Amino acid sequence: MTGLVRPIPDCTEAAMVLVPAVPFHRFLGVREEVVEGETRYLMDFCENHVGNPLIRTFHGGVLASFGEVVAATHLARSLARVELPACSTLTFDYLRPAFAGTICAVPHIGRAGRRITTVSVQLRVENKLVCIGRFLFPVGRGSLGGSACPAVGT
Amino acid sequence: MSHMKPELDQAAMAKAFFGSQHPLFNAFGIDVVAVVDARAEMTMPFSETLADGHRALHRGTLVTLLDTTCGLAIFSALRSLRPIATIDLRVDYLRAIPAGSGLRAVVECIGWTDSVAFVSGRGYAVGDKMPLATVTGSFAIDTLGPAFDTTDRSAA
Repeated sequence: MTGLVRPIPDCTEAAMVLVPAVPFHRFLGVREEVVEGETRYLMDFCENHVGNPLIRTFHGGVLASFGEVVAATHLARSLARVELPACSTLTFDYLRPAFAGTICAVPHIGRAGRRITTVSVQLRVENKLVCIGRFLFPVGRGSLGGSACPAVGT
Repeated sequence: MSHMKPELDQAAMAKAFFGSQHPLFNAFGIDVVAVVDARAEMTMPFSETLADGHRALHRGTLVTLLDTTCGLAIFSALRSLRPIATIDLRVDYLRAIPAGSGLRAVVECIGWTDSVAFVSGRGYAVGDKMPLATVTGSFAIDTLGPAFDTTDRSAA
């Protein structure tokens, strides 16, 4: 089964690859560390992440993708689901240039409603806030799963 | 379009920038289909290495293609490769990306001020007329760094 979320191990200081079954997660190089019982989501810059090569910043799409992967993983874990949910809307604010480095993502569930759950994610580089993402997940019956909301007209 | 020389130059300029020199666009196989009058269209093929685990392209690739096409539409509107940066992006996912399908993005730069450009567009599966996603965004103009067509890259 692909798209499975591995459970967080009990041991601390453990590092592992996030959802290795998803090829795009490997492309992003998303990784996570558990430090003192708290999961940290990280992404290290590589050449394939570059947006503006002249000043070596992350591409805006790579940042938003990373934020979405973290939001979905965080939500799946909070619901004890094994499949990653798909958001219906993402809104992303780019606050300052995200220069080549290691990005740390901090997810937060704003509200877990019966129909919609809102997850916000802060992206930080060297503890400076570089982006804020907001992700809306339909969580009603049948709406969680690896694909987006039900297809229109099919 | 041979009678529209400025647009041809624009397309050539865009292809030079969005071509094989750029590691991310290269990895995605992003291709410029058209760039004219503040509108841009780009495609990318299906790739196993960018898939979502369900043999479809990951939605992150669609966001990245849309964001990139937004940038190209703005370059076309401004008729220059002045440095720009995304400041706000919204993507609504209308339906799932079909398995094995490439992606196409069509974006228009609706308007701009001295400092901000506004874009709106749609993402499609290649060969499909029904949109997969919509995008709206705003980009800062004349941001950090040299113009993308600068020859003197030491300033970077």
